[in-house]
Parts: sequence; C-alpha cells; structure tokens
Amino acid sequence: MRRQELVPLLAIVIVTAAALIYTFAAGNQPLLGLDLQGGVSVVLQPTDPASDEDLDQSINIMRRRVDALGVAEPEVARQGDTIIVQLPGVDEPQRALDLIGQTAELRFRPVLEEVGPDVELTEPEDDIAEDEVVLAGDDSVGVERHYRMGPTALTGSGISGAEALYNQQALEWLVQVDLKSGAEGIEPFNELASACFARQPQCPTGQLGIVLDGAVISAPVFQEPQFDDAVTITGNFDQEGAQDLALVLRFGALPVELETQQTQTVSATIGRDALDAGIVAGLVGVVLVAIYMIAYYRLLGIVAMLSLGVSFALLWSIISWLGEAQGLALTLAGVTGLIVAVGVSVDSNVVYFENVKEDVREGRPVRSSVERSFKTAFSTIVKADVTTLIGAGLLYWLTIGPVRGFALYLGLATILDLIVSYYLMRPFVIGLGRSHRLRGRPGWLGIPATEPVAGAAPSVREPATLGGGR
Amino acid sequence: MSIAGRLYSGNPGFDFRRAWGKALIISVVLVAICVASLAIRGLELGIDFEGGGVWEVPSADLSVEETRDALRPIDRHDARIQELTSAAGSRTIRVQAGVDAVDDSDEIVGALAEAAGTSPDQVSINTVGPTWGDEITGAAERALIYFFIAIAAYLSIRLEWRMAAGALVAVVHDIAVTVGVYSLFQFTVTPATVIAFLTILGYSLYDTVVVFDKVKESTHLVGTSTKMTYTDMANYATNEVFMRSVNTTITSLLPIVSILLVGSLLLGATTLQEFGIALAIGLAVGAYSSLFVAVPAVTWLKERESQFAEISRKLGGNRSTPVEATEVAGMASAGRKAARDDAKTARQSRTSSSPDRAGPAAPTPRVTPTLTHPPRPRKKGKRR
Repeated sequence: MRRQELVPLLAIVIVTAAALIYTFAAGNQPLLGLDLQGGVSVVLQPTDPASDEDLDQSINIMRRRVDALGVAEPEVARQGDTIIVQLPGVDEPQRALDLIGQTAELRFRPVLEEVGPDVELTEPEDDIAEDEVVLAGDDSVGVERHYRMGPTALTGSGISGAEALYNQQALEWLVQVDLKSGAEGIEPFNELASACFARQPQCPTGQLGIVLDGAVISAPVFQEPQFDDAVTITGNFDQEGAQDLALVLRFGALPVELETQQTQTVSATIGRDALDAGIVAGLVGVVLVAIYMIAYYRLLGIVAMLSLGVSFALLWSIISWLGEAQGLALTLAGVTGLIVAVGVSVDSNVVYFENVKEDVREGRPVRSSVERSFKTAFSTIVKADVTTLIGAGLLYWLTIGPVRGFALYLGLATILDLIVSYYLMRPFVIGLGRSHRLRGRPGWLGIPATEPVAGAAPSVREPATLGGGR
Repeated sequence: MSIAGRLYSGNPGFDFRRAWGKALIISVVLVAICVASLAIRGLELGIDFEGGGVWEVPSADLSVEETRDALRPIDRHDARIQELTSAAGSRTIRVQAGVDAVDDSDEIVGALAEAAGTSPDQVSINTVGPTWGDEITGAAERALIYFFIAIAAYLSIRLEWRMAAGALVAVVHDIAVTVGVYSLFQFTVTPATVIAFLTILGYSLYDTVVVFDKVKESTHLVGTSTKMTYTDMANYATNEVFMRSVNTTITSLLPIVSILLVGSLLLGATTLQEFGIALAIGLAVGAYSSLFVAVPAVTWLKERESQFAEISRKLGGNRSTPVEATEVAGMASAGRKAARDDAKTARQSRTSSSPDRAGPAAPTPRVTPTLTHPPRPRKKGKRR
C-alpha cells in the first residue's frame, strides 16, 4: 500500500481508536430518551399568546421545580411556542406532572366556613381574586372538602422562600414560608393573621386558605396574630406533601397559564422492551446486509462492513458524548434513524463498487479501475449525501418532537459516511486493487471478468476501427 | 448469458424505453387510485394528530373482555382495546380512546392497574390535546415545502433544472403512492409514519441522484456520430446504473425488513412497525420511480431541447423499431472507450481462447444492420 493510502487509513484508525478509548475511559454512554428507559414527557402550550419573556421565565421556574424533584437528566426546553418537559426515569410520573404543571396564581384567602360537599363549587372562570369563592381541596386523609373563602389577601408574589422542615418535638412535617417585607408581603399577611386570630367576621374560622390553581392545597389555622417575616404552616403533612408544598411556594406561580398538549408516560418495562427491539432489529439488519454484501461483492463486501463498523464506532462515541456533555438523549426515533443510516452508509459502498465493476467490464484492469472509479463515485456520493444532509438539516430546524432526534442522527451518520468513504473505503479498496495476490482473481472482488458481457461484445470486436478514429 | 449472469456482471441489457410507456400508465393509475382513496377514505390519523389517549399496561393474563369490564364503571368500555403479544411471551393491553377521554386519564390508569393487578406506575400513558396535531402537521408541512425548494435549488446547481424537476416529480410520485397505501389499507398515521415519509424523500432522492449522475456523465455520448439519441443514451445509462439501484435498494431494505420483523415479533404493533411499513413501501416505490419516472421525465424534457431534438430528427426521430438495448450498450461502450482499445485488447488476449490480437474470436451477439458500419466515436467522447 502506498503512502497516500496508508496515511488516511492510519489516520482514521487512530481517530476511531482514540474516540473509543476516550468514550470508555470517560465512561460516556448514550443518554437514553424516555421512550427507551421509561419516564414522562409533557408538551405544554400557553392558553393565551405569551411573550418570549414569559415563556422563558416559565421555563426557569419549571426547571427549578424539576431540579428540586431530583430527577436525573431532566430537560425543560422551548420549542417554538411550546414547552417540552422530559423527565426520564421518574418513579411517580403523576406527582411530577402535577408539580410542574401547576401554573395558576398562588393565593392566600381567609376561610369563611367549611361547607358541605353539596354546595356548588365556583367555576374556574369565576375564580376571581377579589371575590368570595367556594373551592375544594383534599385534606390529609384524602377526603374532599369544600371551603367558602373570602377575597385574596396576598398572592404568591409576596413570598421570598419556603422550606419543608421536620419538627422533632411534635414529630410532624411543616412548611416554613418566608415573606417579603412591607406592603408587598408581611403587612397584608399580618392584617389577615390578626383578623383570623381574633375570629373577626372576615375570617371566622381562623383558617388560612392556600389556594393554587383553583384548589385549596392547605387550610392551616392561625396560631398567632402577628408574624415577623416567616410563617409556619402545619397540617398533618407527610414528608412528601410538605416538600411539594414548599416547592410550589418557593418557586411561585408561572407567569402564563399553560395547557397540556401532550403527555406521555412510558413505564420502565415498556421502554426497555422498545430498546431491546431496536437493538435486535439493528443487529439483524446489519447481519442481513453483511450476508448480502459479502455474497455479492466478496472482499469488497468485507470492506463495506469494515466501513460500517468504523462509522458505528465513531457514531457511538459522538452519541455518548452528546448524551454526557449536551444532555442530548437518544430516542426510539433516533435509533430508527441509525438503523436507516446503515442503509445509507452501505449505499455509498455499492455506488463505488458498481463503478469499479463497470470500469472493469469496459476492459480496464482492476488496478487502475479502483482509482479512477473512486473519483466518479465519490462525486456521486457527495451529491447524494448532500441531498440527504439538506433534508436532515431542514427537518432538524423546522420540526418538533421526535422528528428532530431522527434528523439529527441521520445527519450525523451521513457526515460520517462521507468521512469514512474517503478515509477508509478508498484506501482499502485501492490497496486491494493493487494487491498482487488478487491480480487475476477478480472474482474475489465480486467482479466477473472472465467473459465479455453481451452488451460490451461489439466494442470488443471493433478495436481496429476505433483505433483509427483516434 | 443468463439474466442472473447479466445482472451480476452489472449490465442487464434491458430496453427501458419500452418499459417507460407501461410505467407511465402504471404510475398514472397508481397515483390516481391513491389520490382517489385519499379523497374518499382519507387517512386514519393517530392520536397525535387527532388528540386522544393511549394507555398500555403489561399483563400476562388480562383479556380484552376483562379490560372492557374494568372500564365499564367509568364509562370507557367503548374504547378501542387491543392485545399486543411479543414473541418473548410478554403481553400488553392497549386502550385507545378519543380526545374526551384525556381528562379521565387518572381513572383509566387506576382501572387498568387494578384489573391487571399491578401498580399504576406500570401503566404507560400517552395523551394528546386536540391542537397538538395541528402544530405537528404545520411544522411538517413547512419543513416539506422548504425541503422541496432547497432540493430543487441544489439539484439545479449540481445537475440541472430539468433533472431537479424530474427528481421532484419522482419524489411526489413516491409520497403520493406511500400515503395512498396508508389510505387504502387505513393504516394509522403516527409521527413515526411522518418520519418514515421524510426518510422516503431522502432515499428516493439519493437513488435518483445516483441515476441522474450517470445520465449526466453519459450525455456526451449523444450525437449523430454515435447514432445515439438522448433517449438511447438515457436507456444505456439506466442499464449501467441498474444494479447500483437494485443493490442500494436491497441493502437499504434489509435493515427495514428487520425493523418490520422484529417490530412485529418482539413488540406487537408499535412504533417500529408503523415506521417499517411506510419505509418498505416507500423504498420499493422510490427505486422504481428513479428508473421509471425520474429518467423518462428528464428524457422527455431533454428531447425538447433543440440540440437533442435535432439529433433525434437526424437519426430518424421516433424509430418504429427501437435499437436493441444490448446494441446501444455496445455503442455506448464503444463511444466511451475510443481511447482505450489497448487495455481492451490486452484483456481480450488474456481472456479469449485465442491469443491472436488481430483475430477477434470473441462471441458476437446479434448485430442488426444499423451496426454493420461501426460508429465512429466522437473524439471528445473521452472520459473526463
């Protein structure tokens, strides 16, 4: 093998080896999307047109809520006017969803009385801050209670922080809420507190109704008339309940009301099944392709499989890196994109090999055919691959949801195909073409050169005339 | 030589020109059926487009009837209930319902978990609001339009506008047929299907570009001296590229067949399978359209170009008996290899039984009168 083939070949082998070593040394692994490992995905959309600022702020708030849930690799992202929340590997999807999606304003209302379950609830559209309302909430044992409540005294914007604490003496969980100072927080709150503590008409029960999204989350009783800057809410919380309430209070309400467009919960078992099926499908596909390619192209078929192997090793490294460093997950759509990419990658080999065969058929020795054909074939491969890349790029920019993952991995695989075609397939095949052992054994390269083709025969018959035409 | 042998050698010697007429009829009929089906039956859109929900719970013994009974108390017994079984023996019960069921998701999860005797965590849920589908569809449509424009521009620059037009005709044909099949058989269209349609675009174009590249490369063969019209040349180029198309299609189909097999055997009717059906159909149609739609379309356009029309006229226009395909291939080879007789004779002496260079003992095929005076190759017929 000559230097001009040896250098690129060595280069790509070294790069591939380095990529693999790095991937294993760093312990990088593809980050699996939630359809492959189970989890929750929600697509939320503002009910009314929202400004970019509002959306970004909502995302920030939601991101903090999600982080506080302790989900590994959560993703809260904007796509167009929608927000996509992905929570892979969540144990309790419903709880996570409830918490993230709580969007309406947080309100503190005095409880006027607890009414029976037959009293009609206020419709969501009539739930106005300044009005009296009847709202429902579950108590600690899960029984629905209806409360008649007075006008809002303070909204969530008056809160500066909240924390769930465990009271060692009382052996109970409580939520400590820090209020902003002055008229924005503590003053209206203390006004309500003293009224409730004194059981005045505007708060005869002494209870504070904490209302979120039109539901009473908690209705603790005021134990003091005045507070400094912090309020403690007790009320038969378990650990989870206290933490969830603190979370909601701490991060406040979202600036826009969001509507759930799509929720997808994939149980871990079903996700695992999908992954296994994807892997099996990929392996079976590769084996089938390998059998066909080797049967048809012999040694060249093996070169095609080597190209595929190197492509895959590089792709694996990139996907793993994208997962670790960029948090980009591999979804089922991505896996299918990769399986499809097997076809694309092998296609390039076929284009080249058939070009070689064509040249040999026309009477050229294998040795020079492999070099000449590469130029023509590579030009075709570039045109075809660029077409695929344009498609993948546009799909990536313009679409939403699973199509993007598919486009990303298809595009990556196509770029790798170009690199591997040039740096691996070319030197390998040219080397084979030059090999002395293969000289006179074109069958090993899947080239039938022993018998002139019917169509080529007339030209073989005419060398003298053709020579004269020169 | 046998058909298989000719295929293996890479030059099947088909007369594609005869097939183009039939292909046109077939394609027109196919597309007409598909468009009619789309107009009459429409598409069976999945919940991602229509809104609705799918709930799945793994269970070894829960039957469809039991599921229906379990859903009766919450008035959801009219939902579509399916049983999915994988080869590995694991079973999943799938419940699908319209957009009005989305709000009752919790109840459905509860009922399913209880009926299957498992925890609600094991129930997989996919609910979609009614407007989400519009978003997806809108995005896909936008992407498609830009895609067509970009591809048309790229192919016009790299090849030429007639070929860009031919490629787009072929792609539209492929999409129409694939979507038509979905409409005819009322397969459910899901986002996975949309991805598959988009992949088909890619494959179809890839294949078409490979074919066109060959046609373009062979254009220099057209001329009165080679006695080749543009149509003859296109036929020749299609022959040359035929095995490439067949092989690229086979190697692309194999992974997809495996997606289909594995999808149906291991997973029941889910994403992988939805994907596979569209891809398999699209790929087959894509390979067909590259050879039988894209090439004739370009040929038709090119024959209307003055220089090529002139050549056709001089060579007798629409000859009543088209030149034998093998003959054309031979002429083409002759034209291209004007400068390469040395190599040929060398090979000839190696392979033929008689080492006598002057006496060509190679078996000659049927030679029609048109070839009794071997064509003089054009000098510029050298390969670049």
